[in-house]
Parts: sequence; C-alpha cells; structure tokens
Amino acid sequence: MNTIDARIHQVLDGELPIDALPAELRHRMQVVRGAADLLAVPVPGPSLESRIMAEVRRPAPSFMRRMASWFATPHAVTFRVRPVWSVAFAAAVAVFTVFFARDAGPQLGEHEGIAQFVGRFPNARSVHVVGTFNDWRPGTIALQDLDHDGVWTATVVLPTGTYEYMFVVDGERWVPDHLADRLVADDFGRENSVVIVRPVHR
Amino acid sequence: MDVNGAPSDAEIVARVLGGDREAFGFVIRRYETGLLRFATRMLGSRDAAADAVAEGLVRAYRHLASCREPARLRTWLYRIVTNRCKSHLARRSVGDVPLDEAPPLADPADGEAALERAEQLALVRRALTGLSPDKREAFVLKHVEGLSYEEMAAITGERIPTLKMRVHRAREALLKVLEEDT
Repeated sequence: MNTIDARIHQVLDGELPIDALPAELRHRMQVVRGAADLLAVPVPGPSLESRIMAEVRRPAPSFMRRMASWFATPHAVTFRVRPVWSVAFAAAVAVFTVFFARDAGPQLGEHEGIAQFVGRFPNARSVHVVGTFNDWRPGTIALQDLDHDGVWTATVVLPTGTYEYMFVVDGERWVPDHLADRLVADDFGRENSVVIVRPVHR
Repeated sequence: MDVNGAPSDAEIVARVLGGDREAFGFVIRRYETGLLRFATRMLGSRDAAADAVAEGLVRAYRHLASCREPARLRTWLYRIVTNRCKSHLARRSVGDVPLDEAPPLADPADGEAALERAEQLALVRRALTGLSPDKREAFVLKHVEGLSYEEMAAITGERIPTLKMRVHRAREALLKVLEEDT
C-alpha cells in the first residue's frame, strides 16, 4: 500500500491548514487535489429537465404496475452482519445440527447398514476397496483423503452381512486392512480382512 | 427565499407537495449538474449516469412526501441517485466502470493546454476506474462533490470512520496510479 503521510490526509480533510504541511509533502497533496479538481468539471451534455418533467407530468403508474416493475428490475441487496450476530447464528446452527438434525442422513432399509473403511497410505495416489460386496472389482468404491494427511476413508451402505475385503493402492497393490474386525486366509495364501455390516437401528 | 430571490429547497418541496408539480423544475435545475457529475464518475458513462439521475429524480418526485427534512433536500437526492448507481453497477457482471468510454477529446484548436488537460482527465478517470465502488463513491462525494463526512454518512448510511478510511484508501490508491503514470 502506498501510504500517505497523515498530515496530507489532515489537510485534505480540512483538519490542518495547508501552511502546516512541509514543502516536501505539498506536491503529493496537490496531485490528489488536482485530480479532484479535474473530476469536478461539470459533465457536458443536454439537460435532463425535459425528460424528467415529461415523467413528472405523466400520471403515476398504478400500485400493481409499480409492483410488477419492482419485481422485474434487478436490485442491489447488501447484507451487513455484525460479527457477534455471525457467531450467534453459527452457534444456533450448531445446536440445531447436534440436537435436531443428527438423525438426518441416508434413509437405510431394514436390511442395510453402514460400513466405514479407513486405511493409512501416506504416499498413495488412489485407494479403492474391493471385496465380496462388489465381486472384487477394483475402481467401484474409492476412498478419499481430503485433507492429504495420508488417511483414506470411505463410508458405504451395504446389505447387512459379513464381507471379506482388501484395499487396492494405486490400482496395483492389494493390501489387507489390519485394523479390520478379523482377518481370514483366502485360497491364494493371502489374508483378507473381514467386516460385519449390521442393521442400523432407529 | 435566498438572497438571490430563488426559493429555498423547503419552499420548493412545499410547493410541489401543494400540487405545483412544475416547481419540481427548480429542483432539477439546481441539482442536475452535481448529480450528473457524481453519477458519471461512479458509472463511467454519461448515458448510464443520465439514466440513473433521471430515474432518481423521478423517484424523488414521486416520493417527495417522504422527504422528512426538506431543508436537506440535496442530501436526500444524492442518497436516491447513489442507490440508483448501485443498482446500475449491480446489473453489470462486474462492479467497475467501463473502460471503453473515453472522455471527449479536446479540439486541437483549443490549444496545447486544453489537450494536456484532457489527457490528465483521462488519466485520472482511469485511476478512478481502478477503485472499488465503495472507495470511488467516498472519494467522489468528498472531493468532487465537496460534501462533509456528516453529509456522506447521511447519504450512504455508513459510519464516519468507515467513510474516512475509504477516502484515505482511495487517495492512496489514486496517488499510486497517478505517480506511476506521470
């Protein structure tokens, strides 16, 4: 920011006589004042009097016509919010969310539950989960690491039951979830993780 | 009635409200120049400014009864035209003034001084264009229209410290541009 000596502002605001301004500051003050003087020159052009008086002499539009015109015309709407009210509003929304909106969410069927998959893969570019719920097809359920802390998560709705699964990292590396409920050996000598999806009671 | 025999603002308002609508011509002739200059500086276009001022003055006529302090008619009119300018700016995709409307060129026959003055005006207009609408409004009301901070507060609805800060920022921004270009 190109700051101006406070005394220049004071002179321009009429709070200080120009004589009180050191000579080296007067030029900058005169630049601002000169710009204002240039802008203060009247704008040339025909008078608006006849145009305005023609409207003045015309009977005023009806209330309904004014309303229609008002609704059809764009208006500038300015919201000015005091910080204290912003905080109060945010608190009210938080309270509402905690006490009234916590039941909101996907409507689950009687035989559906929620499975959450979490894995820590700090350098991964992508992580998917495959298992008996999607016929071990990679690419159908992706985990996300929105805050880039290396922890990838996905929450999915599945029919209730017990499923075996693994993570597929960067599309090629299959790894079990060692934080799973339990691990079981598969037919290829590897371990699959197991998740049990239970119905959500409401 | 003032010393020149012209009716005061309060007298004009009383006459118009009493049914003499032709008396509104006094209001137009008295304030048109300043309002048009203000709106032109805000919108960057004489045509858009003429629309804003005409709309504002017609609106003022129709709502004249709601002018609580006829002696402060000038402030009331500036407030209406200021709001019309904001509506015009809001209709644009961005809140700044058009750059393509150059000021009238000086006739070379008017001499070198007039030419230089026209160039300076173009430079200042460009610098003004670079300000945000809030700062532009504050600078023009203060330095071009010569209003006090109290009058500006009545027009804009802002607090005086806020307006002072905007005027100060506007001066700094203008000075930066003008010192770089000269």
